[in-house]
Amino acid sequence: MSSITITNASADQSRWERAVPVYGFPVVNRFFLGLVAMTLVAFILTAYRELAGLGPVSGMNDAFGWGIWKTFNVMVLTALGSGAFAVGIAAWVFRRKRLHSLMRMALLTSFLAYACGLLLLGIDAGRPWNFYWIVFPWKWNMHSPLAEVAICMSIYAMVPLAIENIPPVLERLWYFDSRLRPGVERFERRLHYFFPWIIAAAYLLPGMHQSSLGALMLLAGERVHPLWQTPWLPFLYLGAATFMSFGCVAGTTMLCCVVWKRAMDMEVLDEAARITAWLIFGWMGWRLLDILFRGALGTAFHFDRFAGVFWLEMILVGIGGWMLRRSLRTHETRMMFLGYIFSSLGGMIYRFSPTTLAFRPNPESLYFPTTIEVLVSLGFISMGIAGFLLIVKRFAILPAPLYEWHDMASYFRFRRPYIRWTGYFKYGHFGENESETTDSH
Amino acid sequence: MAITRRELFTTVAKAGVPAAVALTVGSKALQAEEIPVPSAAVGLLYDASICIGCKACEAACSEANDTPEDISGDQLHQAPTDLNELTRNIIKLYKPEDGSPYSFVKRQCMQCLDPACAAGCPFQALHKNPETGIISWTADKCIGCRYCTITCPYHIPRFQWQGYNPRVTKCELCSDRLEKGLKPGCTTVCPTGAVIFGPRTVLLAEAKQRIKNHPGRYYQERIYGETDNGGTQALYLSRVPFEKLGLPELGTESVPARTLRWQRRLYQYFALPALLYAGLVQVIRTSLKGHEDEAHEREKETGLRAQL
Repeated sequence: MSSITITNASADQSRWERAVPVYGFPVVNRFFLGLVAMTLVAFILTAYRELAGLGPVSGMNDAFGWGIWKTFNVMVLTALGSGAFAVGIAAWVFRRKRLHSLMRMALLTSFLAYACGLLLLGIDAGRPWNFYWIVFPWKWNMHSPLAEVAICMSIYAMVPLAIENIPPVLERLWYFDSRLRPGVERFERRLHYFFPWIIAAAYLLPGMHQSSLGALMLLAGERVHPLWQTPWLPFLYLGAATFMSFGCVAGTTMLCCVVWKRAMDMEVLDEAARITAWLIFGWMGWRLLDILFRGALGTAFHFDRFAGVFWLEMILVGIGGWMLRRSLRTHETRMMFLGYIFSSLGGMIYRFSPTTLAFRPNPESLYFPTTIEVLVSLGFISMGIAGFLLIVKRFAILPAPLYEWHDMASYFRFRRPYIRWTGYFKYGHFGENESETTDSH
Repeated sequence: MAITRRELFTTVAKAGVPAAVALTVGSKALQAEEIPVPSAAVGLLYDASICIGCKACEAACSEANDTPEDISGDQLHQAPTDLNELTRNIIKLYKPEDGSPYSFVKRQCMQCLDPACAAGCPFQALHKNPETGIISWTADKCIGCRYCTITCPYHIPRFQWQGYNPRVTKCELCSDRLEKGLKPGCTTVCPTGAVIFGPRTVLLAEAKQRIKNHPGRYYQERIYGETDNGGTQALYLSRVPFEKLGLPELGTESVPARTLRWQRRLYQYFALPALLYAGLVQVIRTSLKGHEDEAHEREKETGLRAQL
């Protein structure tokens, strides 16, 4: 990620035009196998957890009823996976048109983060077989933040978010075999007809459950340290999710561009960075003003772990925001990437704190995750990453300049003519040249 | 396209008028956030000043609830160190280092009038009986999320950490014994009458009588649970500060009423989310139209199939 100065001419050439699959890299490599191994370990440990109960496998206790499976994999990682919500609102509602090129990345990372989080939520629940009550709305406790989270999150991931991820699959089918095209096109038309309702639900539901994740700890009252416990907790949780997810989507895209040698469209990345920086400073300002008005600022200057966590979080988020602003002036991609990393790390600490780092049960008690807990948590994260690597290499997800699509088409035509699924790219156009190419093998 | 935000706000506002009216009309009901006392509220009155710490109530509790004794301490005596999956009721000792008065304390579910555990429970596995006010746990509805162990300000519900079929344990005031006309186990054996059972009103009157009869004996001349945390059905009298006995000063407003006030209003009748949804659909419809047109234009220019 060297510092490149972008001139107008090169910016135009590297303009992200359409999503192109990552081609020329094998799916299965050492890193991928490592991720699969981690996932398998997590599955085996999960089976053990289901038989033995939560006590033997985790560090959870009566005082800390929630461990990292809930507080990290769900509370923190779904914030990183709110890209479909935050980037989507910027693109569809506020019509930041260039951000549409990041949408497929946002939708995919969100879906994977939510899917892995929800699976772990089911494993973390002590009596998961009773989840079937979710289909009887009159049995819900409508005012419970946890019911809101559990119901909203699963509906969101399984319905609107899943449907929003269908277009790349349809596109793949369209290119795969010309006989499928009429059916695919009919389905696409129907899908687009319902899209406004689906997309709107995809913004309403995460807005509700990402804030309800914050509302969860409202009921814990005084036991959450005053630097965190505030009536604004739901709002701040949602705010943290917005800038963290921008960081996740843009940061992941940048990383992919470096790893797979794609051109970066600085116009899109600058726009994302500008929005993220504003979100960060708005969020920080709100958080600090809230602390000030509640009169809790004094506790930030006590010499204890709470103040330490608070300042670490604030400094990380602040530095991240500053680096993003700076990268807008200097056009240093390294600075921008680090800005995303730092601000997201700070946001992660914020989302993690009220349940764990700033939670003071009475009587005082400690929680530290056990090895098994950490392995399961990492295993489910690995599963998400492995899924991501597989999907970006098989579906058109990652944005690229136009020439990348033509490069890919010629790559497959000349270097891999024997691969069946390259039918996908042979007819890069509307099929008008199909007759010339079908008889090539 | 330049007025996108204004468009959003106006659309929201247009749809918002009837909804806002509905909300204001509905908010009359919301003003009355006073917690109703169940019609036949029963409870316990525990007087720490006359408890001798014999722990007979602990044994009676496990007998009444038919749970095995927790002998994990020395494998012989029933001597749990805290409430746990076998222990719904425990006698603890508060003994300060400086030699000031010590006190026993009996800990069990406080049966709050507005319980935080039930407010948070997603599928109403913890449910407050509208007549007796007893909060009981239903195995068939509990998903084992352990939110109750986090929300309870008294740290009462306990989750069973072992085994594939964990349960949540808390005092249910021996509700099956009450149906048979018997008293809760703990109140049947107390040798000094430190814990007694009865309707909440009777217990309150009794406690006030005791405070009157023994001026200066009780901390702040006050009954813990009369108004604390919106009122509880287990009432406490003590010589030493309640906080030392693990009964935090929570104020007179219940925890759910205090903390979930805005949450509850925002989701009242689902009016605001529905309003927001309608606005979003309108805005996205226009965006989608523009986006599709643009994509098809690019399709003609590049000769590559549009991606949406």
